[in-house]
Amino acid sequence: MANVSLQKIGKSYGDSIAVESFSLEIKDGEFLVLLGPSGCGKSTTLRMIAGLESITTGELLIGGEKMNNVDPKDRGVAMVFQNYALYPHKTVAENMGMALKLQKMPKHEIAERVKTVSDMLGLTEYLARKPGTLSGGQRQRVAIGRAIVRTPEVFLFDEPLSNLDAKLRVKMRMELQQLHEKLGVTSVYVTHDQVEAMTLADRIVVMEAGVIAQIGSPREVYDSPATEFVAGFIGSPAMNIIAMDLNSSGGWSSVNSQFNLSELPGFDITGIEQVNVGFRPEHLMIMKAGEGLNDPWVVTAKVVLAELLGADALLNLCIQGETMSARVNGTKHPEQGQELRIRLNPQNMHVFDRSNKKALLRRNIT
Amino acid sequence: MNTRPRVGLYLLVGLSVVISFFPIIWLILTSLKNTAGIYAWPVQYWPDPLILDNYWSIITDSPELLRYILNSFIVGLGCTILTLLVGGLSGYALSRLRMKYASILMIIILSVSMFPPISLLPSLFQTFLNLNLLNSYLGLILAHSGLFLPFTVWMLASYFKTLPVEIEEAARLDGMGSMRIFFMIIVPLSWPGFVATGLIVFIFSWNEFPLSLVLMTQDAMRTAPVGISLYPGEFSFPWETISTATVLAIIPVLIITAIFQKQILGGLTAGSGK
Repeated sequence: MANVSLQKIGKSYGDSIAVESFSLEIKDGEFLVLLGPSGCGKSTTLRMIAGLESITTGELLIGGEKMNNVDPKDRGVAMVFQNYALYPHKTVAENMGMALKLQKMPKHEIAERVKTVSDMLGLTEYLARKPGTLSGGQRQRVAIGRAIVRTPEVFLFDEPLSNLDAKLRVKMRMELQQLHEKLGVTSVYVTHDQVEAMTLADRIVVMEAGVIAQIGSPREVYDSPATEFVAGFIGSPAMNIIAMDLNSSGGWSSVNSQFNLSELPGFDITGIEQVNVGFRPEHLMIMKAGEGLNDPWVVTAKVVLAELLGADALLNLCIQGETMSARVNGTKHPEQGQELRIRLNPQNMHVFDRSNKKALLRRNIT
Repeated sequence: MNTRPRVGLYLLVGLSVVISFFPIIWLILTSLKNTAGIYAWPVQYWPDPLILDNYWSIITDSPELLRYILNSFIVGLGCTILTLLVGGLSGYALSRLRMKYASILMIIILSVSMFPPISLLPSLFQTFLNLNLLNSYLGLILAHSGLFLPFTVWMLASYFKTLPVEIEEAARLDGMGSMRIFFMIIVPLSWPGFVATGLIVFIFSWNEFPLSLVLMTQDAMRTAPVGISLYPGEFSFPWETISTATVLAIIPVLIITAIFQKQILGGLTAGSGK
């Protein structure tokens, strides 16, 4: 096991920059998730750690040793690919034991280790089969087994669950989690799926256009997004974002509608006149009749669309001309066309400086 | 989907099959006629009498034909193996190893194949003469390989491009170098591509005429097409011998095609990825 240190790592293809000045310390045994939309450089970063892409600038250290020019096989890393990347002409056992065979390990020892890992993953009965006869989930399990057999210092996962169907994905996600608890090997996991990131990660690195947007625990990233991009990317449905300008009476008016807020309590907004205000859908609360009559944070809303998801329902609301989505209890949710009174909880409000899209800090969190 | 039988399409396919097979059928029929039947007027379509004498007599009277066929076989096989090896390695390098200027190199390789082989003959003959490669299998194998390599490189390179690159990356992480990846991963996975390309190259080489004619001047070293083409004498044109010899010369190619055609159809990449 080892820690991984990325020091101002950069990758460019000619003039186009894929990853820029990426610095990160991955602790020994940590499960780190690189999260971002496609093309944000997360896979490139992973592939630089693996040695499949050369590093243009910066230094990569695994277990304290510089790895920039070390061959992929000598880095002590094992990788699981999105499309499994098994050798189709080899059996499951041969697939899993290939790296050991190439290390010239004695045959009986290889067989022993393959057996141990296949027992752990429930693959023993398939050892003599070829990958083509296995289901997608089994194939990915073989790919994971192939990585485990090598007892690497670091596991690298490149969107390993993306090719699986939704149900299987949830199951494999939990298995990966248990596997990590059992083996405790440093893992770097690339995904664009925020649910995978939230559930698996010790820490999430959100990437945007080749740079790190935020590093933090799943909770930090969700509760205190550092930038508007992070706020919009994490959470489904996405956070409601309203562009607002300071008006002549000292309050805030929406740029696109009649939506107004008298103040942005708790935020240090001195000198800023243009902001984007964000509310997560679950922070829009339906008021009962007679409740919160004098509350300035209660507004009237009209239900444009109501979608039942099961336990929850999603409401598409029109609030003073502003479209916002709300996540409410699904058992008895309002119908389309209904008028509601909604409370926007100021304590769960996010405010971003529109000029640099960075989150404004709260003076005091109550 | 449109399930209406596409009569016109089938008609076209049938027509093209008849047109392309007619010479071969005519050839076989001719080989089964006697001399009178061949020159009969009006034309005799079905051999009457239908005889196998031509086959017996060619085996007894012209044993050199077997030698020609053997020569063709040796040259064809050698050329196929050499082009697949060299073409496979260079196709892999050009399509997968992220070489600089790979696409320009590919174009240059293609443009080389645009010279008519005839134009190469004088210089090739002189060079082979100097190198003592005339009338040697190696010489003609090299000449044919040079001729068909561009095609092989292009065919195989485009086949390699269809393989998922992650398999190679996984192999790299497992500890394989480029050579080992080529022979342990790429070749088995591209086997249908190798077989198809190899067959085409073999048939090309089998049928190749100008280089074979000029570079193999001794009778014992002639290839089948050249040998057969020299059957007509000054005063006679032995159609029955020529057609019978040609039929015999086609048979090895047919057998090889029959053996390998299943392999062309069976894809091997199933199961590697999604």
